[in-house]
Parts: sequence; C-alpha cells; structure tokens
Amino acid sequence: MFYVESGSPLTGTRLERVRRFISERGLSMGDDADFTAYIECDGEIAAAGSLCKNVLKYIAVDESLQGEGAAASIVSALVAEAYSRGLKHLFIFTKPENEPLFGSLGFYTMAKTDDVLMMENLRGGIDKYLDSLERGAGGVVGAAVVNCNPFTNGHLYLIEQASAQCDTLHIFVLSEDKSRFDANTRFELVKKGVAHIKNALVHKSEDYLISSATFPTYFLKETADAERINADLDIILFAERIAKRLGITRRFVGTEPYCPVTRAYNGRLKAILPRYGIELIEIERIDGISASRVRELMDEKRLDEIKKLVPETTYECIAKMI
Amino acid sequence: MQIVTTGVAGTMESSDIMVRIEPSEHEGIELTLESAVMQQFGKQIERVIKDTLKELGVASAVVNAVDKGALDCTIAARVSAAAYRAAKRTDYVWNGGVNK
Repeated sequence: MFYVESGSPLTGTRLERVRRFISERGLSMGDDADFTAYIECDGEIAAAGSLCKNVLKYIAVDESLQGEGAAASIVSALVAEAYSRGLKHLFIFTKPENEPLFGSLGFYTMAKTDDVLMMENLRGGIDKYLDSLERGAGGVVGAAVVNCNPFTNGHLYLIEQASAQCDTLHIFVLSEDKSRFDANTRFELVKKGVAHIKNALVHKSEDYLISSATFPTYFLKETADAERINADLDIILFAERIAKRLGITRRFVGTEPYCPVTRAYNGRLKAILPRYGIELIEIERIDGISASRVRELMDEKRLDEIKKLVPETTYECIAKMI
Repeated sequence: MQIVTTGVAGTMESSDIMVRIEPSEHEGIELTLESAVMQQFGKQIERVIKDTLKELGVASAVVNAVDKGALDCTIAARVSAAAYRAAKRTDYVWNGGVNK
C-alpha cells in the first residue's frame, strides 16, 4: 500500500519533478494532464500517472517499486478521479507488453498490433458498439467519417458521390463535443440531410473514431514519430475493428487544400488502409463551400448567403440559432 | 434501493476491490467481475456481491468489479458503499445494514 499524492491539475515544482521522472523513462509528457497522481519514496518520485480527459496517460513506475502494486495504486487513483468527474468510458493506449498489467486493472483490449495496444474499461465495449450499428444491404461497403459543423452542400455532394460508388455507405458523425454545433445537432442535420440517399446509414462515432481518446502521444520517444503514430492509432482501430466488422473496403474523404492536420491524416489513411484491403478514395471538394465559411457568415448574420451553401434542414436550424 | 447515478468505492490495490455501480435499463444485476483469484473464488465473490445488493434492495444495476483478493467483508463493505453513493443515499445505518 502506498500513499498517493495528487494534483488536479498538478502544477509548479511537483509537476516538473513528475515530468522529469516520466521523461527519464523514455516517455514524453505533454501539457494535457488534467489530473496527476504520484508516489514518493525516500523523497524521490517512484511512480506516476495522469488523466487527460478520459485517457490514462504518462504512467510509469520506477524499477525499484515494480511488482509492489504501485501501478495499481496509481491507476486506482486515476480511475477514481475520472469517475468523480463523471467520465465513465476510459482508455489506455500503451505498448503490447503491458496487456497483463492493465488487463488486471479493469481494462480490456479493443485492438492490438505489433506496436500498440488499445484498451478500454468496458468489457466488450467496442463489440457492443459494433453490434449496435445497422448493417445495411451489404455488397460493396464504404465509409466516411465526418464532423459536419454544420452539414453543408459540400458534405452533401461528398456523400452523394460516395454513395454512388458503393452499395452501402456508413457515415460516422463525430461525437466529440468540441464544435460550435453540438454532437446531437450535427448528427441530426446529417441524418435529415441524407435521408433521400437510400443506401446511406448514419452512425455516431462515439469514442471510437477521431475522438480525443484516439490520439495519444505519450509512449513515443520522438515528437516526429509521435505525429505519425498519432493518427495511426485512430486509423488502425478503424481498420482492425470497425471496417473488419462492417466489411468496409472503401473509405471516402474530401480533398483537403487548407488544413494541414486533415491533410496529414488523409495521407496516413492512404498509407495504412491498403494494408487492410481498404481503398482510400478522395473526392474533389466543391470550391467556396465550407463549414467554416458558414460559421463566419453566422457571425455576420448573413442568412441569405448561408442559404446558398447549406441544405434546407441545416438552414432552418441556423435560422433558429441567430 | 434505486440506483440513480454512478457510485464507486474501493481501489485496485492488493486485498481490496474496486466496485462501480451504475443505473441499468433492465431488471436484474448485470455483473462484470475481474479477479486476481477468479479460478479459486470467482463464484464466491459474485455471490457476495449479489447477496449484498439483494440485502440493500437493489434490483436493477450494472456492476463492474475489479478484485485484488479482497475478503468477503471487504467486498460487502465496498459494494455497500458504492450502492449508497449510486443511490445518492446518506442514511447509512451502522450495524443495522448489510451484516445484521
């Protein structure tokens, strides 16, 4: 049994000491820790771990303390803190050799490759999610992952193009609530906006696709490498579990002339998906229509300009908002 | 006892058990148990958890437990604490409750 200290978030000298402890063990600690727990032994940090939203990160135990249950104390503190914050669905992304350790601490494997292990705290969580998805008619199955903040004629064009190239199209709308339009509104607008496309099925991505949980960096030693595997986790989870279960062989994206992150993500999709027998298909986007343009016009309250860029259902929603 | 929110008690340290109790849409207790001594005492642990909930009058809940070799009295105490928290009840009666 250890005495666990914590900070919510940890700051100042204590944070610096934990940061040094973590970096000495080959991990790099970002600035995203909301809560950090640590154990001191003879005035030195001997174990530490952090909670970044709903992901347990930067967990390390000094060699001298290994096998003594220090990891269990740290993880207990992190999990208890997460629950007290109302976070129920927790994740760990770690090295494959840590499977027995975290497996004994209430985490279950979602996906595993030679390099990475993805775990969640719900037994069969991802399986239940996959079981809940409507499967459609089958045939050639495609997928698109979209934020649609909000749903525009540009998105509609992309989905129409994509749906014409497959028998069943799964559309995953991001569930992360970090956009101007909340997750439910975005989902409903997509659903209404594509209702006329008979082979399109609209799903919530929940925590399993492009969520704040699927982009960790902590176990990586070099930042450059981190950027690479950062998107890779998300893509591997999609390919290994979601695409495999739904029989997806095509993933559709819009060409991305502006955002470097999205462009890099598309690049990684192109590099990884073919290994799983999934083809990446880029659809040329329509010039001048973008969700960010719609949001700008909302700020300027130019409703008639917005009307030209979005479907009727999105327009009605915006008209109520401004 | 009506489970209305998520209640947690205990830790995953040696000889303890971490119990999380959540509301369920269905009747009955949906239990997920992970234990270091599953082979030897899995059935017994499940029984203690279910009996404790029954005595508390919890008829519907999702229960997740990670056991690290807790004794029965520890299990009952953790389940009871988690249930009271999940029911938002603070009227716990010492010596009058679970082990009477």
